[in-house]
Amino acid sequence: MKRLILILNLVLIGAMAIGACATPTTEVASPVAPVATEAPAATVPPAATEPPAATGEKVHVTIFVGLGTGTDPAQIDSENALAEKFNSTHDKIELEFLIVPYDQARERLLAMISGGTAPQLLGPMGIETTAQFLDSLEDLTPYIQRDNYDTADFYGPAVSLNTYEGKNIGLPLGLYPSYIFYNKNAFDAAGVDYPTQDYNDTTWTIDKLREVALLVTLDVNGNNATSPDFDPTNITQYGFDNSWDSLRGWEVLWAPANMGRPTSADYKTAIINDPDWVTGLQWYSDAIWKNHFMPDSAAISGLDPANGDPFAVDGLAMWMSNSWYMSESLNELAFKWDLAPTPFNPKGERIAQVDADGFSMPKDAKNKDEAWEVMKWLLEPENNLELCRIYGCMPARKSTESAYKASLAEIYPEINLDVIFNAATYLDVPNHESWVPDFATINEALSNAQSQILTADQDHDAKSVLDKTNVEVQKILDAYWATH
Amino acid sequence: MLKHSRLSLRQREALTGYLYISPWIVGFLIFTIGPMFASLYYSFTDYDIISPPVWNNFANYKKIFSGIFEALITHDSSKLGDPIFWQSLKVTLTYAVLALPLGLIVGFFLAVLLNQKIPFVNLWRTIYFLPSVIAGVAVALLWGRIFNPRVGILNPIIEAVLHVKGPGWLADPKWAVPSLVIMGLWGVGGGMIIYLAGLQGVPTDFYDAAKVDGANLYQRFIHITLPMMTPVIFYNLVLGMIGTFQYFTEVYVITNGQGGPVRSTLFYNLYLYQNAFRYNHMGYAATMAWILFIIVLVLTLLVFRSSEVWVYYEGELRGRE
Repeated sequence: MKRLILILNLVLIGAMAIGACATPTTEVASPVAPVATEAPAATVPPAATEPPAATGEKVHVTIFVGLGTGTDPAQIDSENALAEKFNSTHDKIELEFLIVPYDQARERLLAMISGGTAPQLLGPMGIETTAQFLDSLEDLTPYIQRDNYDTADFYGPAVSLNTYEGKNIGLPLGLYPSYIFYNKNAFDAAGVDYPTQDYNDTTWTIDKLREVALLVTLDVNGNNATSPDFDPTNITQYGFDNSWDSLRGWEVLWAPANMGRPTSADYKTAIINDPDWVTGLQWYSDAIWKNHFMPDSAAISGLDPANGDPFAVDGLAMWMSNSWYMSESLNELAFKWDLAPTPFNPKGERIAQVDADGFSMPKDAKNKDEAWEVMKWLLEPENNLELCRIYGCMPARKSTESAYKASLAEIYPEINLDVIFNAATYLDVPNHESWVPDFATINEALSNAQSQILTADQDHDAKSVLDKTNVEVQKILDAYWATH
Repeated sequence: MLKHSRLSLRQREALTGYLYISPWIVGFLIFTIGPMFASLYYSFTDYDIISPPVWNNFANYKKIFSGIFEALITHDSSKLGDPIFWQSLKVTLTYAVLALPLGLIVGFFLAVLLNQKIPFVNLWRTIYFLPSVIAGVAVALLWGRIFNPRVGILNPIIEAVLHVKGPGWLADPKWAVPSLVIMGLWGVGGGMIIYLAGLQGVPTDFYDAAKVDGANLYQRFIHITLPMMTPVIFYNLVLGMIGTFQYFTEVYVITNGQGGPVRSTLFYNLYLYQNAFRYNHMGYAATMAWILFIIVLVLTLLVFRSSEVWVYYEGELRGRE
């Protein structure tokens, strides 16, 4: 008996050891030869990825979803329907959406890439995430050139947002321009006219925004923020908030040098204490601590503690955000709302910072040719429109604009949708989410500076905060360039 | 095949024993010791997870420890190689200094109270123990709402009872760590149960003898209960200390992984996590993990060493002959 147990034990250990050492199943190799095309003479064709496999097998192309939107149950159903549509019309490629919860997606993707099982496509993926994975993404230029893929139908900035140093590291799916959502009830309660919706109205400036925001900020006694009797410790309605945006997003309104990029053009020098940055941050600081029309971090957390959505409750008159906010069930709000453009800055420029989504391909992915075919299919006008219906983006293809507008008008019949489409003319390039060295570390430093401005009992002098942050960011840049 | 003639009975028994525990040993070697050595190697590299690690000698360690003297002399933390590392250590130590003694004292106090002959004692014990089995994420979400300075339930109570304006709690950098300490008391029932078990193991003869000698309640507590409970206090102290240095889940949930406001809740493990999985500085994170290991090891050894003068086993101090 003892011997039997001993042998069983040995077998168990052996099985565990074999199991632990076994290599993971490899991806199904491509059954088809790379697409033969007439590439321009100067073009370097994309490298062949794998040898063809047995005839009849379908090549799997997995789209990794979770780095941005796309993980809500309703979206998953639509994604699966789209995959079914693709699979029923393609006999050589099997498309599959891999849905990973947002809070696990980054770690999961890192593990997949480092473990040699990178998915074929990533998306929808925002500019910020693209920037963080920049070194791991395939340059699509050879594929674009090989297939003479026409990018002229995409909005110009949509393409440039996916371009780094001449490399196309993704194709655009959709744009999310920014504008102001305003609560009509809040304006009515304060007896103030609604903001303009006319992009040609040059009186709609940052100063005017401040003026209006003061008038629609009300305390518990109904006094607005310009009144000598106004009680800043008992505010019931704030005039303006933009707290979901990053510091870089805040600053682009003032169109600083290099726009949303906090460094010099060569990425080696921090320019965070540039006068435009200081002016911009001081405006926000004053909005909170001097003019009291913008909530601080404590007040923001109290506006909608259940969902963390400051505009969802009746306590905020103007909310600057992006068009992705339109997918947040705005029809269920208990008040009437509409849209207004971002204001002109003191230089007379209007900047509507933009978020964007696209599809990218990891460098280490297998079956890249098939992935490229899927990517092209996804971005055909009809599918681009369908995906943007799922994700709430403004399609990157200009040719879909009227169809998209019509579908949006069905959902929001009372809203002036021109505000959204006109915003696409004023996008921020370089973008406020674009790549910088050691992206996440610099973002944390900037976020800390923003946190100081939003938090009580801190240094609220923008110059002083940004001077310190500039030193911190310069240190990060120096460390990065010392090893790159 | 094993041959009986070659191995003695004792050797055969030992071999069988090792074989029985071998699944654990194999798992320990592969999943604990293996990653530990791997992380030690990574701590000397520049490793971003995606690309192969690049050996960088002591650069990660140098980054942490450089500029200390300059910063001390000039009182300027920006002179430090990585000021955020020291901030995270400061936050963790502050929490440990506040939460550890408080948790030990409150847990012990509750155990003493619930060791009395009172009606429904089992119900009270259950009520006090129950919160400690609730998952950290749920606790964090719950207390996040309680502490909300505008709509939470705590500030109105403070304002009604004390007639002062409640603090900003988690939204205020000065109050953020104390808020987490208060939140930590929610789980004090776990330690309380261990104390309770210890208290019930104190022989009643000691108390009877002390009573005969005229010892009052206070004297019986100081000279019998407390010394007899020192091994349990020691146990809770060591586990609690290690636990405070591993503090992560609650602050991750409450601050959305940021450690805010203004890095006031940037605990050591949170900063380590950020380096590993947000900034892709896995080599640096491995360095931090080893430094944390050394800190905890040294502190644990110190506590063990100190136990010789305050922990009583069988009524005697271990350090005394």
